[in-house]
Amino acid sequence: MTTMTLRRSDADIAAETPERSQAYRVARGGLVDRRKLLDFSFDGTSYKGFQGDTLASALLANGVHLVGRSFKYHRPRGILSAGSEEPNAIVELRSGARREPNTRATVAELYAGLEANSQNRWPSLAFDALGINALAAPIFAAGFYYKTFMWPASFWEKLYEPMIRRAAGLGRAANAPDPDTYDRMHAHCDVLVIGGGPAGLSAALTAGRAGARVILVDEDFKLGGCLLAENQWIGSQAGVEWAAAALDELISLPEVRILTRTTLFGVYDHGSYGAVERVSDHLPVPGAHAPRQRLWRITAKRAVLAAGAIERPHVFGGNDRPGVMLAGAVRAYINRYGVLPGHKIAVVTSSDDGWRTVTDVLAAGGQIAAVIDTRRSVPHELRRAAESAGATVVTDGYVAGTRGHLRLKAIEVVDSYGSAQTIACDCLAMANGWNPIVHLDSHLSRKPVWNEDIHAFVPAAMPQGMVAAGAAAGRFTLAECLATGAEAAADAAQHCGFERKLYPVPGTEPESTGYTPLWRSPRIKGKAFVDFQNDVAASDVELAHREGFRAVEHLKRYTTLGMATDQGKTSNLAGLSIMAELTGQAIPSVGTTVFRPPFTPVALGALAGHHRGKDFRATRHVPSHAWCEENGAVFVETGLWLRPAYFPRAGEKDWLESVNREVNTVRSKVGICDVTTLGKIDIQGRDALAYLEKFTANPFGSLPVGKARYAILLREDGIVLDDGTIARLGENHYVMTASTANAAKVMQHMEFCRQWLWPEFDVQIASISEQWAQYAVAGPKARDTLRGVVDPEFDISNEAFPFLASANITVGGGIPARLFRISFSGELAYEIAVPAAYGDALWRAIMQSGTPHGITPYGSEALSVMRIEKGHAAGAEINGMTTAADIGLGGMLAKKKDYIGRLMKDRPGLTEPDRPTLVGVRPVDRSKRLRAGAHIIALDATPSLEADQGFLSSVAYSPSNGHWIGIGFISRGPQRIGEHVRAYDPVRGEDFEVEICSAVFVDPEGSKMHV
Amino acid sequence: MSEAIASMWAPRSAWAGYAKPGRHGRTQGEAGVRLTLRDGIGLATVIVADGQTDALRALVSERYGWTLPEPGRAQLFRDRGLVWSAPGQWLAVAETREALRDLPQAFRGVAAVTDQSDGRAVVRVSGRNARTVLEKGVAVDLHPRAFQAGQTAATSIAHIGAQLWQLDDVPTYDVAVARSFAGSFWSWLTEAAAEFGYEVEQGPAH
Repeated sequence: MTTMTLRRSDADIAAETPERSQAYRVARGGLVDRRKLLDFSFDGTSYKGFQGDTLASALLANGVHLVGRSFKYHRPRGILSAGSEEPNAIVELRSGARREPNTRATVAELYAGLEANSQNRWPSLAFDALGINALAAPIFAAGFYYKTFMWPASFWEKLYEPMIRRAAGLGRAANAPDPDTYDRMHAHCDVLVIGGGPAGLSAALTAGRAGARVILVDEDFKLGGCLLAENQWIGSQAGVEWAAAALDELISLPEVRILTRTTLFGVYDHGSYGAVERVSDHLPVPGAHAPRQRLWRITAKRAVLAAGAIERPHVFGGNDRPGVMLAGAVRAYINRYGVLPGHKIAVVTSSDDGWRTVTDVLAAGGQIAAVIDTRRSVPHELRRAAESAGATVVTDGYVAGTRGHLRLKAIEVVDSYGSAQTIACDCLAMANGWNPIVHLDSHLSRKPVWNEDIHAFVPAAMPQGMVAAGAAAGRFTLAECLATGAEAAADAAQHCGFERKLYPVPGTEPESTGYTPLWRSPRIKGKAFVDFQNDVAASDVELAHREGFRAVEHLKRYTTLGMATDQGKTSNLAGLSIMAELTGQAIPSVGTTVFRPPFTPVALGALAGHHRGKDFRATRHVPSHAWCEENGAVFVETGLWLRPAYFPRAGEKDWLESVNREVNTVRSKVGICDVTTLGKIDIQGRDALAYLEKFTANPFGSLPVGKARYAILLREDGIVLDDGTIARLGENHYVMTASTANAAKVMQHMEFCRQWLWPEFDVQIASISEQWAQYAVAGPKARDTLRGVVDPEFDISNEAFPFLASANITVGGGIPARLFRISFSGELAYEIAVPAAYGDALWRAIMQSGTPHGITPYGSEALSVMRIEKGHAAGAEINGMTTAADIGLGGMLAKKKDYIGRLMKDRPGLTEPDRPTLVGVRPVDRSKRLRAGAHIIALDATPSLEADQGFLSSVAYSPSNGHWIGIGFISRGPQRIGEHVRAYDPVRGEDFEVEICSAVFVDPEGSKMHV
Repeated sequence: MSEAIASMWAPRSAWAGYAKPGRHGRTQGEAGVRLTLRDGIGLATVIVADGQTDALRALVSERYGWTLPEPGRAQLFRDRGLVWSAPGQWLAVAETREALRDLPQAFRGVAAVTDQSDGRAVVRVSGRNARTVLEKGVAVDLHPRAFQAGQTAATSIAHIGAQLWQLDDVPTYDVAVARSFAGSFWSWLTEAAAEFGYEVEQGPAH
């Protein structure tokens, strides 16, 4: 260290005049690559840093401590930590569509051109107008919202909530679609090692050498954990060198996968883990075809939790002043990044390891202003370095408050005699012991247990094959980390069938771990923060206590302690300890709240992965899709299917005109509609008929080979499940259709019946929905049209192939096909099926063959209009609440056989004579438009639930009738044909007179189907 | 029938409109993934009749020299054989549709055979990064210690039901999805393969 970098006087170290030349970078040392100078900007000011810096270390190198404003009071905030636990240094990265709020500067890797901005301030970071909140701090205390926004209640939605929402929240999301892609990966291993510090590396080496499949996950971009931050030796190697050698060996092991920049954010049942890899976050933009982030779903037989520990701050007045940092972070900035976070550094410690900061600061050429140890007796050897450097050493003392505004200028120290002194410093390092990272263990709802020896919670005995090692288990010394990591991994490998083998652990220097925590300073000057991110002070915990919110879950919710995005990583224990003190309980008796996934925030984009935009969910295309697209079809989503809804022609002014034309063409000439979306089920076996007889509610015993029949299916409870058709293709071979919406449900029901209800039947069921393209060809010219595609040897005349006939035929010169003479439209109609690869060809052939006859393609809209004109029940009628009698099909039910739903359909409620029954409705004033959902009431009734007589389930404009028609369920409907009632629709404010009529509006005799 | 009409009746690939032969994705170096469209192959569901498993096993062995695969197994000799697909159910696979034409007759009374040649869109995934690409979508462990040539899994990829089987140790996989999902599946597959560069080629045609 030279005096070059420390030439500045105290007065110069003001955040208002930030350094531009890395004045706080020490001359040598650290793991940054000094040959790679990177330009970056913060709040519009340009700075320089090095490859290997985080945004936080680069800002500190430039003397910038002030990086944000706090959530509630808008207090100036600096950089507390050097890791993912950071509650304060939360910034917005990048700009435009890639703008990303709430990024912790302590983990944001520096890259050339990085653009960062502070959040929660206006107009500027140094002068923030809402800083006035701090003056009003007394009224913003815990429970402020609960107390203030109670009255009047009507103000909540319109005034209070929008106001609070505007004031709350940190950062701004991008307001353009994310231009990057997010990948997903599934991985499996024997041993998952969470954390790449000394314990994790030792574990991965042990399991890897045993031959196990190992995945090592670390959130940092460099493996080593605390070895990168501390000046420690392993054997004859510096910790950093040992970590590098361990990495080299791990890379050489073929079954070890190393994931850096990867946060294991969640632990789930059965050995499942969620992790997110920041593939390209350290680059200005992802490389070509590279994802921004990748979500990993890891399944592991065993896991070693080596996630380390988080240092605890002290609670004293003004402990949030920029410049007040965790001692371990100060050491990390010095040792890893070669940055001295201050010119004159003071240390407040309750533990032996805090004193390490003194040696590291001095070794880097820094100055120690003072060391305050809160303990009465401190081993002499710890004090030596500080004393010989001429620093003030106070034992049995504490920090009561801090001075400075945007940057720490001095601390107020109280000694054992109670006398106060002010010590000038620009950085204060706090060492108050460490909390093992128990978060991941808690994800499976296990509460951690209190370990009195280390005054911290540690993971409980772990089921689910996870075991903690090293600092995560409360074993803090380097020697313990190396040993427990290796042991845990050896056990895990053995469990997975590999040899349990431990290798000699290299020696480490002796470490003193003496520690007596100080939960809060006895005298506090100013606001002492417990939770920095949510602005919860010690006084808020006291208030919660006074007002009776003493249970840990109440404390959390009343004060919002630990509810920020950091989930209270640096604050929870401080809050609990203060509550314990106030209630005279031991800390474990206060209890703990539950940590939940994710460990650190995860972008929704990473969870969505490929599934956004048109890939949000899968889309199914019909075999005629290409033709329909070429010919300008308008599509509609029905479930996953994309179906043509109608085919507009030039000059048609709206959908209704197109649909009317399609209906009229079918009724007068011919049309073709893709009905491939219907469920199609192949049924074979010696007992196929016996099975179908039980499965269907109408009789099938008399159905000969070569015929088809309408089928009604009931549920066990007597309600209609679905309807369809069944054709008999051979002696023991049937093919059944189910409606599009119920295709999967019917197949599932059939399998259930086959496997579970009647396993004695020899019947085999296969879905052939995808194998066959199926088209309805309907209209007076349907036969003439089909004649052009059906091979000449097949006679399809009315005599040879009458209504409800079915046959295996061929088309196009030998292509196998199935022909069914069934009609949904009420016209002369067929459904013709070919193997799906020929679906496109068949459609084009039918269009060509039908051209001389005036054929039109028609979509789901015209299909629906024609079925309403014929009074056929569909999804709106078969709605899970109606019986066969309700939809007018009671007469079809079999009398002489047993079938599913037979007994239950006769329950009193279902046979009630007043039940609403399917019937038609037309407006008395024919110009009126009917609405589905309108209720039926008597002409003179006052609308009320009691007056309700039913409702319209489906309506359509009927071009065949020239006015709107509807079908619906009306109490005793079929007996009231001709009666006038009202269609009352309060949703659209309509109420007019309608006539009850037959549900069949076209060709009531059904003669057109039989020609 | 005239030539013109015959050509009008050409079958359409399940991948038509989605897959374009040629090199896509990352352009540098050799493509990490090869995607071979397998359109003309024959597929059929074989469901054993009640109590006929032994009879089916014997028949399969006599007539074809195949073994009836155990659950999770595929018995493929070159491109022909059986892939287990559910209890008592297999997918018969052949290089052409014609090769399976006699199957319903041959298995009469022993198993129900249902043609599925057009019901599935099948793609062969091979190349250096084949396993990695599939691992992006498949929750099943495909590591050689867990999944090898001759194994099959009925699973889902990108929320689409899929069956895959491994053909060799290279490794090469065949993946089958329902035909109507071909476009959505292709969208996932090609996004997953783009970072490695992928080559699309037409396999056996109809």
